[in-house]
Amino acid sequence: MAITEAKKMTTLQVKRFKPSENPTNNYLTDEKGVWAWMTTVDHKKIGIMYLVAVAFFFALAGFLAIALRTELWTPAKTFIEADTYNQLFTLHGAMMVFFVLVPSIPAALGNFILPMQLGAKDVAFPRLNLASLYIYVAGAIFTFAALASGGFDTGWTFYTPYSSDGNGAGVIWVTLGVFILGFSSILTGTNFITTIHKLRAPGITWDRLPLNIWALYATSIIQVLATPVLAITILLLAFENIMDIGIFDPALGGDPVLFQHFFWFYSHPAVYIMIVPGFGIISEVISTFSKKTVFGYWAIALSSLAIAFIGFLVWGHHMFTSGQSAVATTVFSFLTFLVGIPTGIKIFNWIATLYKGSIDMKTPMLYVFIFLFLFSIGGFTGIMLGALSVDIHLHDTYYVVAHFHYVMMGGTLMALLAGLHYWWPKMTGKMYNETLAKISAVLIFIGFNMTFLPQFVMGSQGMPRRYYNYIDQFTPFHQTSTIGSYILGVAFLIILYYLVKSLFGGEKASSNPWNSRGLEWQSTSPPDFHNFDHTPVVINGPYDYHKPMEEFQLGLAVSHNGHDAEHTSTEVEKTEEKA
Amino acid sequence: MSAHEHHGHHIASVKMLWSVGIGLTILTVLTVTVAKLGLPSPFDILSALAIALFKAYLVAAYFMALKWDNRFNAVLLIGAVAFFLLMVGVTLLDTMYRIEVVPSF
Amino acid sequence: MANHSANHPAHVQHHFVDSDQQFDSAKLGMWVFLVNEILFFGGLFCAYIIFRAWYPELFTQAALELNAFWGGVNTVVLIGSSLTVAMAIRSAQRNEIKGLRINLMITILLACVFLVIKYFEYEHKLHYGIAPGSFWDPTPEKLAILDHPKANIFFSIYYMMTGIHGLHVLVGIGLMIWIYIRAGKGHFSSEYYTPVEITGLYWHLVDLIWIFLFPLLYLIE
Repeated sequence: MAITEAKKMTTLQVKRFKPSENPTNNYLTDEKGVWAWMTTVDHKKIGIMYLVAVAFFFALAGFLAIALRTELWTPAKTFIEADTYNQLFTLHGAMMVFFVLVPSIPAALGNFILPMQLGAKDVAFPRLNLASLYIYVAGAIFTFAALASGGFDTGWTFYTPYSSDGNGAGVIWVTLGVFILGFSSILTGTNFITTIHKLRAPGITWDRLPLNIWALYATSIIQVLATPVLAITILLLAFENIMDIGIFDPALGGDPVLFQHFFWFYSHPAVYIMIVPGFGIISEVISTFSKKTVFGYWAIALSSLAIAFIGFLVWGHHMFTSGQSAVATTVFSFLTFLVGIPTGIKIFNWIATLYKGSIDMKTPMLYVFIFLFLFSIGGFTGIMLGALSVDIHLHDTYYVVAHFHYVMMGGTLMALLAGLHYWWPKMTGKMYNETLAKISAVLIFIGFNMTFLPQFVMGSQGMPRRYYNYIDQFTPFHQTSTIGSYILGVAFLIILYYLVKSLFGGEKASSNPWNSRGLEWQSTSPPDFHNFDHTPVVINGPYDYHKPMEEFQLGLAVSHNGHDAEHTSTEVEKTEEKA
Repeated sequence: MSAHEHHGHHIASVKMLWSVGIGLTILTVLTVTVAKLGLPSPFDILSALAIALFKAYLVAAYFMALKWDNRFNAVLLIGAVAFFLLMVGVTLLDTMYRIEVVPSF
Repeated sequence: MANHSANHPAHVQHHFVDSDQQFDSAKLGMWVFLVNEILFFGGLFCAYIIFRAWYPELFTQAALELNAFWGGVNTVVLIGSSLTVAMAIRSAQRNEIKGLRINLMITILLACVFLVIKYFEYEHKLHYGIAPGSFWDPTPEKLAILDHPKANIFFSIYYMMTGIHGLHVLVGIGLMIWIYIRAGKGHFSSEYYTPVEITGLYWHLVDLIWIFLFPLLYLIE
């Protein structure tokens, strides 16, 4: 550690220091062995374990998707039975949503990065963080138990009466699984909100919060407000199955549409749980690889919160054809258009950030461009689906399937890949193979569009979703889509190959390979067990690319304990001006 | 910020706690009495809810010490109630305006 | 490792700078959890409101089966327990561990009284076959009073609401026994009483929920 300059401060004495390269001690060498990993409370290790779990379920659910696409190669039966087909698409949807998309960015990448971007040693409640991982595993076990006890074919939305009519044990198990899984999401959200409020290092005022943190903050708020409603809904559904309580089951006098209200009160905000953290990653990556201060900091930060809020007002657009009253339908349709505004604000600000930047087309940036392209298509088609009369035609067709995949896979997953490549050197201390990474990114782009673009066409021509058979005229579309899904499969295998290979014998990463100004890059790669050598005092903003790199060293508080980030920072600021 | 005392460590006085407890008990008796009066339709529910809300305020402000606590904790409580009301309100937009109460199948 | 562990008291976890930061974090975390609880019960309240708006006559009829007197007694019992838990926190803040334990013990006893009364209420209803869901089988005399096609749904909502609330009471009792034991081992003082404080918050919320459940379920005339 080299102390380059020391400053005399009014109340807070700050030295500057630089992290060492090639640390001998880091979080990976600190505690070794399976038991140490299983009982660790280190947010970094928990993040890595989440990443592995999410990757496992992604592979499993992705494999199911390829099986489904293969079945759809011919209009009639190709190789699996209709009942199996129903179970497979249900499982694909449920796993991708609850086991992959919801925890992917917050619990895997967020867990690793959030405390580092805040200059904290850990999240506020490390043991609850570990508990959330085990709860996730318990939820997975219940879901597998559901498969063992006859499976479930309700679609991932568990609509009544499909899910309340003689579906039996499978539905009970999987609903309990989702109920349990909700707690893991709640714990992550609770942890993040508390950490962001209370554990910021001195100098990180709210206006110096990285945009990734703003996005995770908005996400956590949604998780905390929406997930408990899913919990009670799914619990009532389980009781509906166990002892016919009759609140949702029309056969017993209940209202199935009420189930849809409850379910979408969670599940619509839940798609923002999935996409908003992706927005955070995009903001980080786009600024780093344009070497430019992010354009419209507050616009991007507050639009995340705006999305979180408006996201709670639009759930009824999933229910336009459900028998919902005309008043509600009209209001929901109108409110749906409002979501487009904050999302548009983000896109425009990102584009403005790129303008006249010195753009470095590394793999993370490549994924950002793919994101911008695919997510825009997903967003626009979403606006079309939000229009009442158009939705009556397109409801429950492949158009919806394509829209959802453009938003979730083209949006969330591309952002996840951008973030994974961006932070991979920090997480593992190794560089991946850039050439292979770029090839697979291009393959994903091609494969993705081949898979889902034809589905827009089919859908608008009337091909319903979730169907096992189809009429001959759709054959070319389905076959193109199937080939596209194979290309996607190959691309993901390449990613798996070079990432695993980089762990063994990849080139060593320096502490800041992208020359980022973010706080997490001012630690060693991989970071120390406590993230930083000292509790850092943050002197510069996260996107101050107009300042030379030499100024980007951490401050070190000499005489202050570092509590109360807001208070300390003003003092740092004052002395900055003097110096 | 610096003016208000060290948050989280306000010590309530015995007198205050007992007054709130007794007040809550009186309000409970009051709400039962009002219910027995049998007020006409909207007023019976409204009076019951008004008393319940006031009781809830007493518990939150004094027993849970929100009056002396970090303002953000009160924001959380109010926010949670607001989102609950949002859920109920918007769902009622559907259920109260349906042509058939529960669609027959 | 300059300022990693400079004069850390034993109760402060390694990733906190000082005791205040840890206390504030724990309290904020608990409040965020209470937000969860409110929306969790919110789903049930929402179902209640919607069915009541649809079938007001059913709710007036069915509520006669609930005993407002015992409901009122239970309300007062819970208010009393809220008072004693607040007194327990006060004792902890003043470093009076004996007072803390006595108040906790009274709270636990009151919580048990609540559950016992609840048990007799359930017992009374089940005796007449007024049971939730598939066990719904009222005796003919009760069926004459509860003459409504959706009467089963009112009692499903009643059992779900009070049942889940009762479960929360049970969890609260468990937590307070745990605090009681730890207080006996001398874990708490005016310097460190975070678990007492946040368990207290939880308990007040259980009380808050009941403050709304009571008039909504028992006091419909």
